[in-house]
Amino acid sequence: MATSAEAPTPPQAHPATPASPQPPGTPGPRPRRRRPSWAGLWFVLPFVACYALFLLWPSLTMFVDSFTNRSLAGGETSWVGLDNWATVLTDPAMWQSLWITLLFTLISVPPLVILGLALALLTDHARRAGWFLRLSFFAPFVLPVAVMTEIWGFMYQPGFGIINQYLGALGLPQPEWLGSENTVLIAIVIATVWWTVGFNFVLYLAALQGIPRETYDAASIDGSGAWQRIWHVTLPQLRRTTVLVIVLQMIASLRIFDQAYLLGGHFGGPNFASRTIIHYVYETGFVNFQIGMASAMAWVFFVIIGLISVFQFRLLTRNED
Amino acid sequence: MPEHRTPHQHSTTRGRSPHRIPGRPFGRVTTGSLVLYLVAISAAVFWLAPLLWALSTATKPEGETNAIPARWIPTDPTLEHVAQVLGRGEVLRWILNSVVVSSLVTLLTLVLCCLAAYGFSRCVFPGRAWVFALVIGGILIPPQAVIVPQFILMTQLNMVDTYWGIALPQVVTPIFVFILKRFFDGIPRDYEDAARMDGAGHLRVLFSVILPLSRPILAAVGIFVFIGAWNNFLWPFVVVQDPDLMTIPVGLGTVASDYGLQYAPSMAAAVIGALPLLIVFLLFQRQIVTGIAGAGIKG
Amino acid sequence: MRDASPTQPGSGLARRGFLKSSFVLAGLGLAACTPADAVLDTRVRLRQWNLFSGGDGNRMIQMHEDFQAQHPDLDFRATTFEWGAPFYTKVAMAAAGGRAADVATVHLSRLASLAPGRLLDPVDEGLLAEAGIDASVFLPNVWEQCFHDGQLYAIPLDTHTHIQYFNPEICAEAGLLDGDGRLTEVNGLEEFLDMCREIAQVTGDMAVSLDTTYSWPIFWAMFRQQDGELSFTDDDFHLDDEAAYTAFEALYRLSEEGLAPRFADGQGATSNFDNLQAGLLLQGNWEIASFEATGTPYSATQMPNFFGNRRTRGDAHCFVLPHQENRDRDRTRAALTYAAWMVRNSLSWGEGGGHIPAYQPVVRSEEYQPLEPHVHYAEAAANTEFEPEAWFSGSASQLQSEAAAALNGIHAGTATPKDALHQFRRSLRSLVTTPAPV
Repeated sequence: MATSAEAPTPPQAHPATPASPQPPGTPGPRPRRRRPSWAGLWFVLPFVACYALFLLWPSLTMFVDSFTNRSLAGGETSWVGLDNWATVLTDPAMWQSLWITLLFTLISVPPLVILGLALALLTDHARRAGWFLRLSFFAPFVLPVAVMTEIWGFMYQPGFGIINQYLGALGLPQPEWLGSENTVLIAIVIATVWWTVGFNFVLYLAALQGIPRETYDAASIDGSGAWQRIWHVTLPQLRRTTVLVIVLQMIASLRIFDQAYLLGGHFGGPNFASRTIIHYVYETGFVNFQIGMASAMAWVFFVIIGLISVFQFRLLTRNED
Repeated sequence: MPEHRTPHQHSTTRGRSPHRIPGRPFGRVTTGSLVLYLVAISAAVFWLAPLLWALSTATKPEGETNAIPARWIPTDPTLEHVAQVLGRGEVLRWILNSVVVSSLVTLLTLVLCCLAAYGFSRCVFPGRAWVFALVIGGILIPPQAVIVPQFILMTQLNMVDTYWGIALPQVVTPIFVFILKRFFDGIPRDYEDAARMDGAGHLRVLFSVILPLSRPILAAVGIFVFIGAWNNFLWPFVVVQDPDLMTIPVGLGTVASDYGLQYAPSMAAAVIGALPLLIVFLLFQRQIVTGIAGAGIKG
Repeated sequence: MRDASPTQPGSGLARRGFLKSSFVLAGLGLAACTPADAVLDTRVRLRQWNLFSGGDGNRMIQMHEDFQAQHPDLDFRATTFEWGAPFYTKVAMAAAGGRAADVATVHLSRLASLAPGRLLDPVDEGLLAEAGIDASVFLPNVWEQCFHDGQLYAIPLDTHTHIQYFNPEICAEAGLLDGDGRLTEVNGLEEFLDMCREIAQVTGDMAVSLDTTYSWPIFWAMFRQQDGELSFTDDDFHLDDEAAYTAFEALYRLSEEGLAPRFADGQGATSNFDNLQAGLLLQGNWEIASFEATGTPYSATQMPNFFGNRRTRGDAHCFVLPHQENRDRDRTRAALTYAAWMVRNSLSWGEGGGHIPAYQPVVRSEEYQPLEPHVHYAEAAANTEFEPEAWFSGSASQLQSEAAAALNGIHAGTATPKDALHQFRRSLRSLVTTPAPV
């Protein structure tokens, strides 16, 4: 427990130790001191009230609205039974946008995780350039999404766009990027990786720098090389972080809207190839005014995301044991 | 499992020791490390290239922006586009709006989540387990899925096109209640026992015992929430139509300026829009990276 | 770290910190009611929203500067949104929220889809007359379109159409100009393709630039040039398959042969023409302003004769009053003053924006007659074809975005004309079977 001894106060030394919520040597909670009272309710009430009003209540009204023909333009609202659900569940465009969301997740998670790890390993080894590397890899993460998409939209321009100019100079094919339904999602993934890999990079970097030196010392006695050290010592130590990064990344990727909307275009990209499910909900509810229909659609997404989240949550908690 | 700890950043401040590359004298240049540094620096420069390209384009005369072949160094650098964007004032207004909204969201989140976390961690009240389960269940609700009913609610509360309308729904983040509660649970009770013997009530225990001990996690959560609110796009995009109230990502993403068809001023606007958080990041690099890692790992 | 202990004075410090932040919070609360700078201004607030992000946007800004200079008692500000659905969505959502802009420019074809009476507030004809505008200054058929359920909802500004721009230098080099410097007229698609091939020889790149993300106007021109019919009934539609197929095929051939871009958005389409990568550009008359600004050599003429005539696609712009929960009479009056001023001064709009003013005194004026290159496409107004009326039809409508999806594949080469027709028919089917939300 060398680290905790050096630290000024025990809790501060463990800002990130969920595995051991009670530092050794400190007494646990003392139930005898706790008398039931209503005081606690006042503490949780402000949050719970906001939570109920802004998250729970809308989720409920969304369910009710899904059985009506409510329109953004107002006017008479009447019950339509299961019509919206029937339309939504048989709408190929809805399934297409769900598939695009899933596809985006499948294509974006591996590079985001692997590159995050690779950049972190690089930074961890090239220590003397540490601040510069950290700056370069993480800086894009603090850009507002519209800045990122403006820059990449400009770079993706066919003809004079800088990416295709260099591809042309290297004698490589010059894709239409955002202009073709075959490449638009890839283009969005590339831009997303550039933009957000810094987050995973930072998580990995923190994990790497938390690996105790003894582990390395033991390995170096065996005279193993750098690659072997990474493979046999570092990577196994990062397993927990990797699960965490993958789960967080999947949650983020499944909720994609911003960059797809701004890069692919408000119309959802060529032939709707970049219209994600949230985009379709937005379009149905706000562009086309069909609040009832959008509510049913959002519930489908809601349930799917919910199921995936429960699965991931179990993965995470099992991993913590 | 060996003495493995979840990563934490505090060791890095004093962990600047040569033990990283075991068995190798600090400072000796080998081919391996030369290659390593070469690869690392190239990767970093490559990563910065889009930003540099935006900066370069912003300072070019418009005619040069779509030149073939591309020129990285403008032949005749100019600040006219920057002046043009600043002269219109809307980007500055959006930055101001972002400051207001992000501060509001951060403060409210910290206050509400700390109170709730304290309540769940330190108080016993009827139905606590149920309420806590309800809050934790909220982690599973993707806020993106409820934009439609949230907007309808905002029209009913008359909050469309107001700062409150942007901020309040962003404050409801159950995950931070969970994180903070877990942290508070780990704080030994000895500290507050002394205070309680002095007759301190819950509020005093929270503000004079728990919160001072929780500074690192509060900073982490605060930084995380602030950056998140600053860069949040979807909700402000939905609830704000009035350009006077837009935050920076929404303003840049939806308002087509009179220079909409020109790349140089667009890039100038993008660079100016990115600047505030970039500067903050440059100044507080270590704290922000630590905060993100802290909140991210806990989350 | 001494304040870790609760008995240390540091605890008081933390509380003071909390008090301080409470004050900040309270201050923010006050600020959160209104935009920061609106508090001090006593002038009448007037906010205008528009979608003129093309070349005509610059001219509108000049006009707005003049308007502001002549009306110092108004705190006027205009905002341009991204053209199309993003703009209409903002107008509708703002109106639903009750704090919309005071006045907005929309397409006349979209009036019905904006739920007049709910998302749009009616225009008081009396107030408008006070501002100096009434039925007598517009063409009767245009004025009639501004009514919904017997109430006035719109004030017409202009008519606009898609036209054909050409670069005189490139076309001269290709030997395509006559003695007057006018572009040789083609007769039919094959002649047009031949002309394009010659231009491509000169540019070494493509021949005719167009916005592949929004080539509906060109499709519609080609479709209507063949007398193609599209009509809607309550739950069905009629589409002339052959004419639609021929139009899809013509666009497919243009991109397939490299004569037109595979991908270009509005910005890119104009850039191609600016960059001399193309000698022709099929785009709306509003781009005149941007060529005047960049100094690209250009002239213009009507839409090419692809199928026996020179019909083209067009629409009209008008001013509307989005719904406000607490409508203020002074601001409404200011909004109508503004609209009337813009209409009366639309010579500038026509000259710089390329649009054909709705205000008849301007159209008949001597200043308007000799404008270049407007005179060369003046007839286009008579050749303008509108889409059929439906809640999903009109500029930037669902109909257009569904068609655009089919057309993207045509240009990119990922869909054949047959695929596109199939997809378009499927979209029409789903549109007509959706219950109208307005």
